[in-house]
Order: sequence, then C-alpha cells, then structure tokens
Amino acid sequence: MATEATGRLVKDAGNGGFVSKTAALVRKDLRIEARGRDTLPPMLAFTLAVVLLLAFSLPDASRLDRPVGLPTGGTLLLADVLAGFLWVTVLFAGLIGFARTFEVERDGGALDVLLLVPLDRSGLFAAKAVSNLVFVVTVETLLLPVYALLFGIDLGSGWAALVLVVLLVDVGFVCVGTVFSALAAQTSSRELMLPLLSLPALVPVFLAATELTSDLFTGAGLDDVAARGWFTILALFDVVFATAGALVFDFTLE
Amino acid sequence: MTAAPIRLSGVEVAFGRTLALTDVTLDLFPGVTGLFGPNGSGKSTLLSVLAGLVRPTSGAAHHSGGPIRAADEGWRRLVGYAGHEPGLYPALTVAENLGLWAQLFDAPVRRVDEMIERLGLGDRRDTPVRSLSAGYKRRASVARALLHEPHVLLLDEPYANLDDDAAAAVSAAVVEWRGPDRVGVIATHGAKKVKAFADAGIILKHGRVVSYRRGAEQLAEPPIATATPGSGA
Repeated sequence: MATEATGRLVKDAGNGGFVSKTAALVRKDLRIEARGRDTLPPMLAFTLAVVLLLAFSLPDASRLDRPVGLPTGGTLLLADVLAGFLWVTVLFAGLIGFARTFEVERDGGALDVLLLVPLDRSGLFAAKAVSNLVFVVTVETLLLPVYALLFGIDLGSGWAALVLVVLLVDVGFVCVGTVFSALAAQTSSRELMLPLLSLPALVPVFLAATELTSDLFTGAGLDDVAARGWFTILALFDVVFATAGALVFDFTLE
Repeated sequence: MTAAPIRLSGVEVAFGRTLALTDVTLDLFPGVTGLFGPNGSGKSTLLSVLAGLVRPTSGAAHHSGGPIRAADEGWRRLVGYAGHEPGLYPALTVAENLGLWAQLFDAPVRRVDEMIERLGLGDRRDTPVRSLSAGYKRRASVARALLHEPHVLLLDEPYANLDDDAAAAVSAAVVEWRGPDRVGVIATHGAKKVKAFADAGIILKHGRVVSYRRGAEQLAEPPIATATPGSGA
C-alpha cells in the first residue's frame, strides 16, 4: 500500500499527461528545496546584504525625483538609481539560483534518467522555469517591501503596476536563465558560463524593467508608463524567450 | 520486432582523443545479455549508446523502430536504464523517488510497492536516499529502472556493493522481467551472477568486442578477465 508520502508525489499516475508530469517535476524541485534549502537562502542572503549596503550608501531618499550627482559629472534622478539597484539585485540573486537549476539532478546522477523520461523536453523546460520562477518571486516578495521601507518608496496605487512589471520581467528572466543554465550545466565551469551566456541576452529585459520601475517610482501612472512602449518590449521578450526556450531546450540538454 | 531488435554497426565513440568504443558491430536479441570486461573496456559507454544518451562518433545504433536516440520520445518509452550513479534524488525517500519516476514513466502506482517488495527495500521505503548504504541505493536504482516494465533494460554494475541475498533479489527481478520481446543488457564484473540466467555474453576489451556468444555457448565461456587495479573506469 502506497504511503502518504508516495501518494503526494504520485498524482494521476498513469495518465501520462504533459501537465501532470510537469507539475510532478515542479513539486519535486520545491520539495527538495524545502528539505535541503540550498537555493533560496543564498539568494536571500545576497539580496538582503545588497539592500543593507545600499541603505547605508545612498543619499536621503525622501524625494525620489531629486537629482543625484555622478562622479563622472552630470546628474541622475534618485528614482533611476534605486530602480537600477533594485533590478541589479534581482538579476544577480536570480543568477545565484539559476546556477543550481540542475544541481538537484547532478547530486544523484538523475540527469541521465530525466533525459530518458517520455515527456516532451518542453515539459522539462517548463518545470525548471516554473521552479526558478517560484524562487525569484519569493526573493522579490521579500525584497520589495524591505526596499520600499528602507528607501521611503510610496507607490500608492502604483503597486499594482509594479507587480505587473515584476511579473513580465520575471517570465523573460527565468526563461533565459533556465535555457542558459541547461547549457552551462554541460560544462565544467558552469558558474562562470551561466552569467557569461545569459547576461547579454538579459540586457533588454532589465533595461525595460529599470525604465518602467523608475517611471513608477517618480509617480507616473500606468497609462503614461505604457505609452513609452516598454511594456510591449517586455511582453514580446517574454513570448520570444518562452517559445525559443521550449523549442531549443532539447538541444541544450543533448 | 525483428529477429534483431537492436543493431550496432561499426560504432565508434571518442571522448576527445580517447577512443572508448572501436568498431562495435553486433545484434542484440531478446533475452538477457551479459556485458563483461575489465575496467575501462567501454561497458558503460556501450550502455550509454544503447540508451541513446551518447551519440556514436561514427557508425550507427538502430532499433527496430529507427535510430537509437534519447531525443526520440518513442525510444525513451521503451528503455529502463540504471547507470553508474543511482539516478535518484538524495533528499527524497525511496518511496517518493520511485513514486515520482513511476509517474514520469507512466507506470501504475502499484509498481512502486511491487518493486520495493521485490528488491527488499521495505524497511527503507521512507528513508531519504542520501541516508542509504551504497547497496540499498543500487537496489533502489534497479527498482527504478524496472518500474515501467521496459522493453529494453540496461543495467550498469547492478551487483556492485550487494551482498549475496541482495544480489539474488536483483537477479530474480531481472529474470521475472525477462520476456519474449524484451532485450536486457547487464554490464558487470560479477560474471557468475549474470551467467546463471543470461542468454548471451559479450566481452569487451579496450573498446572492442572480443567475444560474443549466445545460448549454450556463453555458458561454457572461460572465466572473464577481472578488473585491473588502477586501470580506470
């Protein structure tokens, strides 16, 4: 008789469905993380360390539209600086997590077996991308309130728009990160390869993220922000990389 | 299936400058084939080629349905593979691992309990794999490979770290799995254990097939060369 533990993992066994198998792989990743805590703690530690350092180093953030002098001359709005640092923090915290995408398979030699599972490889991609998305969203869920608190960011009704930006950024971010983590996993220097491969591809999505967030920090409404076209760029980026990721994942694992 | 469900023709596999397999040409028929040879003879590489996980540098590996490639979902459905490493998640228990793989390989839930029973894992079913001894991990790995009753079973050193009782349980599970249209290949140093029930035997040396005997012939095979210490895998 199957134990309760088995039963939790074995749902709809025998259906052979794409969705149920993909969901089983996501549950597996999250369960392993809940027990091992190998991925989220380093992501969170990095995030909190950066935010604390910023809190001590940035000037008074009571006025986000205040110009900040640059060492090279010229000025920049404080909102731009904060938006940039916010997304740089998410970017590198995410890369820390993505580097471990296939470590759970590597630990027990399960990658070869996973490659023999009768499931379209786009299912493996979707499972890994969703797991990575959960990790990144968890970090952001803790990061954003702390960031707002420390830097006195009051978005008012702009929070909903910020959540939309975050979700759009995250989809593209995890799709790129998942594809390149699979490529990097095949190399001996994967910690080095992942940022080298993924950072160039991620420039557009984080550029859009910073522009949108900066506008929201300075009180621009959703309509004003949307009019600048960055939402369209993010949405296109998401569609392109989600589709490309699902299509090329087969080759990245070969 | 045809008379030879799996055919390798002039298969060569090179890792950089190292030739792991050289001109391997053979037909594999239904039944269990023992794959013998010293360390570094190419047994594991040959199993990986048969699984479709390693693509030959030259030559071809075919099954009755086409080329052997892990990218082919139809082929993946047919294969049960237990390599050098257990292929299990250390943080999950034995039952959770087998439950997960059962779902992924479309095996019914009851197979989890059957294989746990068959391989003598009952007292470790709720133990995390990372806490298991090497012998229990090996048994759990074989149980995983057999879960979906594959048509092609590929086992790499299934008797490693096993005592006599556990080895007998593994042999019994393979014998029970054997069927008229099923092809099994077992790479092992424990030639005697496999010879007790194998239908054919292959000896590899330096990546070449030096002997391939079927039926009664292979039972009369002289003792297999044992591993050479320090010769590498």
